[in-house]
Parts: sequence; structure tokens; C-alpha cells
Amino acid sequence: MSLPQQSLPRLPMTVIGGYLGAGKTTLLNRLLREDHGQRIMVMVNDFGAINIDADLIASADGDTITLTNGCVCCTMGADLFMAMGDALDRRPRPDHLVIEASGIADPARIATAARAEPEMAYGGIAVVVDAQHWLGLADDPQIGAQIRGQVAVADLLLLSKTEKGLPDSLQTRLSALSAAPQIDLPTCPAVAPLLLGGIAPMEGRHTHPAHPAYLGWSHDGDTVMDCEALAAKLAAAPHALYRIKGLVRAPQGDGWEVQVVGRSVEIKPAIATVTRTRLVAIGPQAMITKAAVEAWWSGD
Amino acid sequence: MAEITVFSAKKIITMDPNCPEATHVAVLDGRILAVGDASCAEEWTAAGHSVRHDDSLASAVLMPGMVEGHAHMMAGAMWNFAYAGFHDRMDPNGKWWSGKPDLDAVVRDLSDYEKSLAPGQPLIGWGLDPIFFSGERLSREHLDQISSERPVAIMFSNFHLMCVNSKALEMAGYDRATNAEGVVKGADGEPTGELQEMAAMFPVMRRVGMDFRGLSQTEPSIRSYGEVCKRAGVTTITDLYSQMEDSDLLTLQAVTGDAAFPARLVPVLGVAGSDPQQAAARAQSLRAQSSDKLRLGAVKLMTDGSIQGWTARVKWPGYIGGQANGIWNMAPDEIHRMVAAMQAAGVQMHIHVNGDEASSVAIDAIAAASRQHPWPDARHVLQHCQLMGVDQFVRCVELGICTNIFSNHIWYFGDQHIALTVGEDRACRMNAARAALDAGVHVALHSDAPVTPLGPLFTAWCAVNRQTMSGRTMGAAQCITVAEALQAITLGAAYTLRMDHEIGSIETGKRADFAVLGDDPLAVEPMALKDVPVLGTVLDGRVHLA
Repeated sequence: MSLPQQSLPRLPMTVIGGYLGAGKTTLLNRLLREDHGQRIMVMVNDFGAINIDADLIASADGDTITLTNGCVCCTMGADLFMAMGDALDRRPRPDHLVIEASGIADPARIATAARAEPEMAYGGIAVVVDAQHWLGLADDPQIGAQIRGQVAVADLLLLSKTEKGLPDSLQTRLSALSAAPQIDLPTCPAVAPLLLGGIAPMEGRHTHPAHPAYLGWSHDGDTVMDCEALAAKLAAAPHALYRIKGLVRAPQGDGWEVQVVGRSVEIKPAIATVTRTRLVAIGPQAMITKAAVEAWWSGD
Repeated sequence: MAEITVFSAKKIITMDPNCPEATHVAVLDGRILAVGDASCAEEWTAAGHSVRHDDSLASAVLMPGMVEGHAHMMAGAMWNFAYAGFHDRMDPNGKWWSGKPDLDAVVRDLSDYEKSLAPGQPLIGWGLDPIFFSGERLSREHLDQISSERPVAIMFSNFHLMCVNSKALEMAGYDRATNAEGVVKGADGEPTGELQEMAAMFPVMRRVGMDFRGLSQTEPSIRSYGEVCKRAGVTTITDLYSQMEDSDLLTLQAVTGDAAFPARLVPVLGVAGSDPQQAAARAQSLRAQSSDKLRLGAVKLMTDGSIQGWTARVKWPGYIGGQANGIWNMAPDEIHRMVAAMQAAGVQMHIHVNGDEASSVAIDAIAAASRQHPWPDARHVLQHCQLMGVDQFVRCVELGICTNIFSNHIWYFGDQHIALTVGEDRACRMNAARAALDAGVHVALHSDAPVTPLGPLFTAWCAVNRQTMSGRTMGAAQCITVAEALQAITLGAAYTLRMDHEIGSIETGKRADFAVLGDDPLAVEPMALKDVPVLGTVLDGRVHLA
């Protein structure tokens, strides 16, 4: 086990939750194929349903598949947290870690590690909701409480199998449990922006344009904020701004690293001194305008 | 011709009804050649074998080597860390560690231990159980008294909580600004040192090198497990949620292949969360790698949590404190699919079931799989079985399911079950060995070491006396006899491992696996069963004295 190295950028971690058959693996297959320019490490329980095109595979050995686009897919083995430690110790460190929680698991029990671990950033909990079956599962006397619990901790709700339409009360039931945005997966043009956000605006990093279906907003300025003011500002962000991340200057100390996913706001002290306040954000074009975002950021 | 060794003993308890008692046992090539008196091997000399008499065990009582059907390999290597538990406990080297009755004792004893550590080495402790302390909670202030220089981290016995000192908090970057569930803060807004659940413990564990993977599968861990067995009179033991990787197999084969290693090891592959077909295929390929002392091929499924953690799935009327019903670690339909795949592939299953809703689901899943793929002699085993009633035991008989009952819980947690979890009436029928035997189920009894210490005679004592820590008898109607309990910790457990044709009794043809005792468990008062001294074991005719 190598010693923690604070000089490396934090590893953002996103947890994918949702019951068996909801479409988590389909979502991961999509994510691995998309052109997002990030070196993602995807961790699954087993490769059972992971279906990666042969021409995308650079190499495969036992519990790890390396893709030609720089992404890695691996099985987490027996101990998820040890596997998380291995991901942190990997060099080069991946740009983003995506973990598939098992069907009945509480994804928050995994995602909390990203809030606790100083070398990680909270990349949120995305819960895949099977539009046709979720209501039945949520009312199941044996597993209903755990199914509802997954939705309650979600930062983003990704609705799958919506082609046949939504059952009448689905959105209401989901809204009662969670303020997280409800996103239609079949019509969602790209999942990487949802699951990963934009490329973090670090010094010396190449940028990758957001998918045209998403509004990409960025800011580069001198703004200085203390933690409370920053938290209040981020909490007031437009709801359709699904993800915000970046670095913010502080009146004292090195500054802040922020991660916003859905309604969740995470602020950690920056690893190195922040000299410019730089933020990126994304939201669906259909639901938000650049003007609205600017009005939020520059407003009081 | 090979040499026959004839061991003499004060008494040999054979568990063979044809010859329940003997004074001598003859061993050839690691197997039992004959049982009887001093002349028991004589009929074999005509075949040209020479006979050697070994009287080194002449003052001891021998019984079949005991079989632990539910324990975990980390029971050995946990002792790499400092013991901080409430009860006196023996380490793999036979050293007794005194229990810590209060927080002062924890601080005092660990401060002594701290002096033995090299500079910079973290102090890692285990086994602390705050339910036995009243009043003050362990905090970083206590642990700072042990050391302010080196990190100190104490894992609680339930593995869901730990407490760490200020140095460890600092290493993990935990301070008043930390915003993570499980990093407990005090009234002053500073972390108290208590960390709840793995997500909050992980940053500390990573930095102090608390590596649970390293507590299993490595050669020292396996050997340490063997030492624990020897001192408990155990000759066959499971590792009942083995997380072995393919690369661990060579180490397991090498260590168990050493004649000096004193136990038969049965690693049972954990498959929760795995793809059923792939997991079944892996179990089948592992089975082909088995040897005399390494038995592979069975799998372990999870269902619910624990009763004392209120995470077991219990039937109506639930927990007396009104706590929500527990959680599934595998969902019922996931259990059904896994059971179906294993049954179809002919893979024996051990299924964790604490609450009675969980045992009900497991039985239903096996019943459904049995209709698809009949396999009457599968010997699937329900593990823990803590709240099972007669109705469920009867279904087990109908379906050929075995039950491995968690008798140690009666003593360690019985008072808590009465006061805090399921209440008096249901606590009195917990771990119902009497009901199971009367229904005709195949019964084993277990410790779940290191959750409770390995020691089948103590486990048998629990099933016989059903005494709790406060000294009361919990459910006298469920007590079993000493003879029944000894059967359960030998042949009964061997049956659940599909090894009763080889081990579990001292009779001609079986392996020469014995427990060497300082007294006769059938002659002492039942209340003294736990105090019968274990002097060591014999495995394949080779003596391993503790």
C-alpha cells in the first residue's frame, strides 16, 4: 500500500445504484463507449453482463479489461473498499471512478467514502429506476424499504424502460422520496456528462466539449468566497444544472474544491492554492439557458 | 510393510454406537485400522505389519477431532492486532489475554502494549464491544492517553464501528470541517474519534495499513488459523466466506499440504453479488483442486444481517423496540436465482440466515430449485438459524436441508436479545437445537469465530446449558444433552460438510483425527463441559500437542 499523495488530483467517484434488471450494466456499457475524453475506471461485481465490443478492448487479464480509449473496467473482488484503495493507488490515477452497486445495496454506504476520503471527490449517486417495475418493487413487503431507500439517497434519478410511457404515479412517488432530477435515459443523448460532469478545470488539462445536447457553462474569474457563502450560492443553483465542479478562491487558506451533483453540494479544501476561480457546469439544453446560469452566478 | 501405531488413552469416546468406548486405537497410513483394547491391532500382524505402541496420550481422553462448520480464517491473524475485548481470550500461541471490563482497562492494557511497538508503527486493536460498557463512550481522548505520536485505531467486535486517536484523525484529514456521514462529531463540533461504517473507517484503515485481505489467504494467516484449531481440539474447519482469488490457491495447497499443518481446511467461496452461472462454474473448478486437507467446491450465500444489529430480517411482530425490519444483503429474488443456479450445477450451498424471514426465503428458494433439479442428497446448510421455529425445521427435514445453529449467541448476546431485540418469548426459542433434533434435522453447532472464540466444547456447553452472561437459563426447553451436543460438534458438523464418511467418529476406516482432552466430557458435570482442557489434536495419526 503506497502512502497517500496529496499532490495528485482528487479522484471523483460516482456510484450507480438501482435494482437488478433496472439497466445499470446497459448504462455502464453506454458510458464506456461514449466519447468523453476521460480515463474512467469502472468497477463492477463481475463481468457477467458487461459487453464491450472486441474492437474497443486493448487488453484483458483476469479481473481487468483495458479499453483503447484509456478506460479500465475491473471487478471489485471481495472487498469493495480495498478495491477503492487500489484505484487510488493506481498510476496514472484514473480521472473518474464509477462503481456499480449491487442490486439491493444502499449506494450511499459506498458513496460516503468519497466524502470521507481526502483523496476522493464526491461524484454523486445515480440511481437507475426501471419505469415499468419500480412501483411494484417499491411496494414489495420484503424489499420495498430498501428500494425506496435507494431513491431517497439519489442525486440523479435515471429512468430506464420509458419507451412504453410512464406509469401515472411514478414521478410523483419518486419526487416524494427525492428532490433529485428525473432524467429519461432512452432519450438522453449522452450519459457521460450526467455521470461524470465536465472535465475539471485544472491547470494544464485539455478540455473536452460537452455533448451538444447539454449546455456547458464555464466561469473563470477572481471571485473570492468563504465556505458559507459558497455553499449558499451553490445551493441556489438552477435545478437543471445537474453538475457543477471546479475551484474557488477563498479569503483565507488555499481555496475550495466543489462538486455539485443534483441537489448535493460538496465543498472540500483545495489541494493546492487556487489562484483563479474556475467552474464548469452542465445541464440539458432543453431545460436551461446560459443566461439563466449567468444570472444565478452573478446575482446576489 | 508399513508400521501400525497403537495409541493408548485413558478413554476413547468413539461416537460409534457399535463400540462407544475404547482404550486403544490403531492407526495405519493416517487412518484408523482398529479400535478396541491394547490388542486391537494384533489381527493385522499376520499381514506383515509391525506394531508400535504410543503411550504418550495414555493419560488423556480422546474423542473424534472436532469439526467447526462456521468460522472465518481471520480468527487466526486477528491476533496480529492488539486484543481489546471484554472477555478473556486465548491467542493462537496459547497466551491468554485478559478481558477489559471498562474503558480504564482498555487504556491501561493498550498503553502497555504500545510500549512493545516499533517507532512509527500504528497501534491497531480489535474486539471492543461497547454493549458491555455502561456510561461513557470510548473517544479519541481515551486513545490519546495511549499515544499522541502514533495512530491508534480500535476496531469494534461488530466490524461496523471503530474509534481512533487524534493522530489517526489527522492522518485521515478528519476535522470539524469534515462532512461525511459516520464521522461522529461531539458537542464542540470536533470529531470524537468514533467512526461508523466502512465508508468512514476506510480512510483511516488505508493509512494505518489495516488490511483485512491480509488476515486471510497469506501463509502466516493460514498457519495461525491452524494453531487456533489445535488449541480448540478442532481438526476440520471451514472458512465460511472465502474470498480467495485464483492466485491464493497455490498458497492454500502448499500450506495444507504440509504434514505439520494441523487441520483440514474447508474454504467455502463467498458468492454474494456474483453472477450465478459464473460463480457456479468457479466452484466446480475449485472442487477439482481439492486434496485430503483442502476441501473446495461449496459456496456461501448471504441473505440478511444480524439480530443484535437489528439488520436481520425477522417475521412479524418484528423487533421489540419498534426498529424497522432488517436489510437484505442479497434480495429474495437474487437468492432464488443463485440457489437455482447452484442446485442446477450440483454445488453445495451454505446460506447465512439469522432472522426467520430470511430462513423462510432460503427454504422457499431451495424448495423451488429442488422441483427444477431434484438433488435429494445435496445437503445444503442453513447457517445461524437463530430464529427458526419447528415449522421451518420440519421443512428442512422434508427438503434434506441441514442446520448449523449459532449456540454461542445464547451466552454472548442472550441477555441483549431478551432486553433489546426480540424479547423474552422468542429469545427463549432462539438457536433451538432441541426443536431441530426432535424434528429430525441434521444439526451442527458453531462459533462463527472470530465473532465469538473458536471452541466447540464451549459451543456444546452453550447448547446444553443455554446460560447467558448474566447467569440465567434462556429457554430450558431447548437444552440438549451432552451426548447430543458432542455428536453435533463431530459427526453432525461432518455431515454438513459432506465428510461424515471420513471424519466425525473414531471407527475403522476413517481418518485418524482426534481431539486430545484432559478430562472426560461425558463424565464431568454438564455445567463444566466448557472447562474440559484441550491438550491438542491428532490429525492423520500425527500428534499436535498445544
